[in-house]
Amino acid sequence: MAQAAQIILGGLLQGSVFALVALGLSLVYRVTGIINLAQGGFCLLGALVYDSFAVQLGWPVPAAAIAAAAATTMFGLALGAASFVPALARLPNSSMLMLSAGLLTVIEGLALILWGSQPYAVPPFSGERPLAFFGVRMPSQGLWIAAAAALVIVATWWLLARTATGKALAACAENPLAARILGVDVARLTLFSFGLTAFIGAVGGIVAAPILSLQFDAGHFFTNTGFIAVAIGGMGSFAGAIAGGLFLGVAEQLAAGYISSLFSNALALGLLLLTLLWRPQGLFVPGRRRRHDVRDEQRLYRAILRVDGRGAALAAVAALALLAALPALLGEGGVQSSLTITLILFIAVLGLDVLMGFAGQVSLGQAAFMAIGAYTAGILATRYGMPPLLGTLAGLALSILCALVLALVTMRLRGAYLALATLTFGLLVDQLAVGLTGITGGPSGLVGIPSFAIGPWTFATPSAMYALVLAVIVALVLALAGAMRSSFGRALQAIRTDQTAAAALGIDVARHKMAAFALSAALASLAGSLYAFDFHFLSPEMVATPRSFEMIAMLVLGGEGTLLGGLLGAAVVTLLPTVFQPLADYKILAEGAILMLAFQYLPAGLLGSFVRLLEPRRGRRAPAAGDAVKALLR
Amino acid sequence: MTAPALEISGLGKSFGGLRAVHDVSFAVPAGSLTALIGPNGAGKSTLFNLVTNLFLPDAGAVRFFGTPLAGMAPHRIAALGLLRTFQTARVFPGMTALDNVLAGAHRHARAHPLAQAFWLPAARREERALRQRASALLDLVGLREFRNLAGTSLPLGAQKLVELCRALMARPRLLLLDEPAAGLNDAETGELAGLLRAVRDSGVTIMVVEHNMGLVMDIADEVVVLDLGRLIAKGSPAEIRRDARVVEAYLGPAAEGVR
Ligand SMILES: Nc1ncnc2c1ncn2[C@@H]1O[C@H](COP(=O)(O)OP(=O)(O)OP(=O)(O)O)[C@@H](O)[C@H]1O
Ligand SMILES: [Mg+2]
Repeated sequence: MAQAAQIILGGLLQGSVFALVALGLSLVYRVTGIINLAQGGFCLLGALVYDSFAVQLGWPVPAAAIAAAAATTMFGLALGAASFVPALARLPNSSMLMLSAGLLTVIEGLALILWGSQPYAVPPFSGERPLAFFGVRMPSQGLWIAAAAALVIVATWWLLARTATGKALAACAENPLAARILGVDVARLTLFSFGLTAFIGAVGGIVAAPILSLQFDAGHFFTNTGFIAVAIGGMGSFAGAIAGGLFLGVAEQLAAGYISSLFSNALALGLLLLTLLWRPQGLFVPGRRRRHDVRDEQRLYRAILRVDGRGAALAAVAALALLAALPALLGEGGVQSSLTITLILFIAVLGLDVLMGFAGQVSLGQAAFMAIGAYTAGILATRYGMPPLLGTLAGLALSILCALVLALVTMRLRGAYLALATLTFGLLVDQLAVGLTGITGGPSGLVGIPSFAIGPWTFATPSAMYALVLAVIVALVLALAGAMRSSFGRALQAIRTDQTAAAALGIDVARHKMAAFALSAALASLAGSLYAFDFHFLSPEMVATPRSFEMIAMLVLGGEGTLLGGLLGAAVVTLLPTVFQPLADYKILAEGAILMLAFQYLPAGLLGSFVRLLEPRRGRRAPAAGDAVKALLR
Repeated sequence: MTAPALEISGLGKSFGGLRAVHDVSFAVPAGSLTALIGPNGAGKSTLFNLVTNLFLPDAGAVRFFGTPLAGMAPHRIAALGLLRTFQTARVFPGMTALDNVLAGAHRHARAHPLAQAFWLPAARREERALRQRASALLDLVGLREFRNLAGTSLPLGAQKLVELCRALMARPRLLLLDEPAAGLNDAETGELAGLLRAVRDSGVTIMVVEHNMGLVMDIADEVVVLDLGRLIAKGSPAEIRRDARVVEAYLGPAAEGVR
C-alpha cells in the first residue's frame, strides 16, 4: 500500500513537469494549430540558465530562478519574433513542424556551445533531506515542483478565462480570420502565447532540474513527453494538458515500479496508442465543433510547381549522369560509402514523399519501417542463413502488413494526431529493437550481416552496391513519376487538401490512404534492408526515431511532392555533418540554423526554389488571372 | 416508365434543436433541370449534404434511379454517377485548374496504377485522352488559358466554373449544383445558363440551388421551394411565380427585385 502510494506520488511529481510542458504545447497549438517542437528547448534553457546563476555564480535560489525564467522568456520572444511568427503567415503545416524542430536543434546547439556536453546535477532548492508523510517519502524538491506547477496552472487559467487578453486568444483559436477582421492583432497575440509558452517551459525546466540529469540534448525528452501528454489529454484543451501530463507521469512510474523499467516507455506508448484509438481527439475535447461540409483547413498550401515533362526528364538524366560518374570522380572509399547511404536514405524519402508530399499524411514513423526491413532481413540472414533477396521480401511483407494495420487504425486521425500516432508507433519499434535483446542483439547491435546478393550475384564491393542502389532508384523514380502524374497521383493530391471533395468525386479516400501508407512503408523497408546489407551491422539508433525526423527534413528541404527533390535534401542533410565537422561544438548550432533558415525562406524546398528561379519571366508575363478571366467571360 | 433520377421521401435532419430539413419529399424526373430555391438557411445545402450522405439523415430515404442510397459511403454514391459541387467552391489547392478538372475523371480512369507506373501504352493513351477532354471542358467555360495556373488563384466565380467542369468530367447522370452562379456577373450568368441547358439536353439530370431568380425562371423545368426546412411548393416556374405561399415566405420582402 505504502509502496503504491510512493509510486503514485512519484508519478504525480513527474507528471506535473510533463503537464507544464503539455500546457505550453497546448497554448501554442490552440492559437496556431502547430505543434511547436521547440517547447522542450525552453525547459532545457531554463534549467541550464538557472544552474549557471545558482551554482556557477552562487546567486540565491529565488533570484536565480526568476532571472533564469526571465532570460528564457526573452529568448523565446526573440526566437518567436524572428522566426516562428513571421513564418506562420507563409508556411504550410509540415514546414512549420520542421521549422520548430529546427528551432529545437538551434537551442540544443546553443546549449552545447555555452554549457558543453557534460551532464549537470543541479542541487535541490532546499536541501537534500526528503520529507516524509505517513511513511511516504518525497524529495523536498517535490514540494517546489508541485507548488510551481499549481501556481503556473492557476495563473494561466486566470489569464485565459478572466482577462481581455485571454478572450482575444480564444477568439484567435476559434477563428483567426474573424478575429483579424474584428481588429485583434493575431500576430502579436501569437507572439505573446509563444513567449508565455517559453515562460511556462522555463519554469518547468527550473523546478525539475534537480530531479533530472541535464544534458544539452534533454530538450527532445521534454518535447516528446509533453507531446504525448498533450495528445492523451486532448490537443488545445487546458484541462486535458494537465490531466494528460499527470496521467502519463503516473502510468510511467507504475509501469516502471511493477512491470519492468526496460519496457516502461513501451507501455506508456502502448497506452497512448490505445487512448488515441479509443478517443481520437484525446480525453478532453476542446469545445469547438466544425462543420464538415465546409473546408476546415484554411491554412496555406504548398504552391504549385510546374516542371514541364521535358525539363523534368532533362534534369533527371543530368542527375543520373552525375550520380553515375561520381564514384569514378571521387574514387572508392569513405565518400563513396556515404554516397551509397545517401542514396539508400533517398529511397525511404521517396516513400515519404508519396505519403506526405502527395497524400498529405504527416508520418513521424518512417524510420520504424526502415527498422522492420533492416532487422527482418538482417536477422533472417544471420540466424537462418536466408538469402538476402528473400529476407528483403520478407521485410517488405511485414512492413506492408504493419503499415496497413497502422493506416486502418489511424484512419480517423488527421494532422497533428496522425503525426503523433505514427511517432508513437516509431518509438514503440525503437523500444522493441532495444529491448528484445535476444532477437535483435539489443543496444550492442546485430553483427555479421552478409552482403546483398541476387542468386549467384553478390554485391560485395562498395562500387557494386552503389550501382545496385542507383539502379533501384532509377526504376523507382520512373515508376513513381508514372503513377504520380496520372489518376492515382491526382487522387492522392486531392486527398491531401480536401477529403470531402475528393470523396464527392468518387475517390475512395480510405483505400488511397492505405495504398499510400503501404507504398511508403515498402520503400522505407527496402531502404532498411539495403542499409543492413550495405553496413553489415545494425544497431537500434541507426534506424530510430531521430532518423524519421531527419528524413522529413530531407524531404521538406528538397521539396515536397517533387520526387527528385528528396535527393537534394538527402545529400545536403548527410553532407552537412561532414562539412561542419571542423566546427566541433558549433556543429549542431550550424546545422540547426541552416535547416531553420532553409525551412523558413525556401518553403518550396531546394528543388522547388530552383525551378522557380528558372521561370521568373514566364511567371511575370502571365496575365493576372482575375482580370483576364473576367474579360474572357464577358 | 423509368425511375426518377432522384426520389426523396420523408427526409429529415436536425442540428441540436434546429430542424434544418423536416419531412421533405419530392422527386426529380430523369432528364429534367430542377431548381431548388428558398431563403437563406432554408436547408438547401443541407438537403444536398443529406442526399450525398455527407450527413446521415435522422429520417427518410433517398433513391437514385431506383437505387437506395441509405448508408452508402459518399465515394460510392459518386461512383454511381451522382456528382455535386459545393456552395463554397472547393477546388483542390496546390493543383492546377487542369489537374482539378482531371481529378473529376477518377471514376472513369480504367488504367490500373501499376499500368500507370510502368508507363504502359494503354495508360498513356487514356491519360492523353483525358487531358484533351479536360482542356476542352475548360475551353467551354472560357478558362482554357488558365489551365496551368493554380486553381485557387482564380477568382471565385471562375473557381466555381472549374468545380463545375470537374463534376462534368465525371460524366454524371445526376448533377447537384450548389449556387453555381455565385460570383458571376450578368453576362457570365447568361453563358452559364446556356451551358446548363446544353448539359441537360445531353441527357444529364440537373438539380440546382440558386438565388438568382432570373436564372432559375429562365432555365428550370421544375422548381422546388424550401422554407425553414419544409417543402412549401413545387411546380413549373410559372406556377411558382404565382404561388401565394412562395411569394409570402420567400419573394415577399424582396418582391421588387424579382422580375
Ligand atoms: N453542420 C451543421 N451544424 C449545425 N447547423 C447546421 C449545419 N449545417 C447547416 N446548419 C444549419 O441548418 C440551417 C440550414 O442551413 P443550409 O446551409 O442548409 O441553408 P441553405 O438553404 O443552404 O442557405 P444558404 O442560402 O444561406 O446557403 C441553417 O440554420 C444552418 O445554420
Ligand atoms: Mg446553402
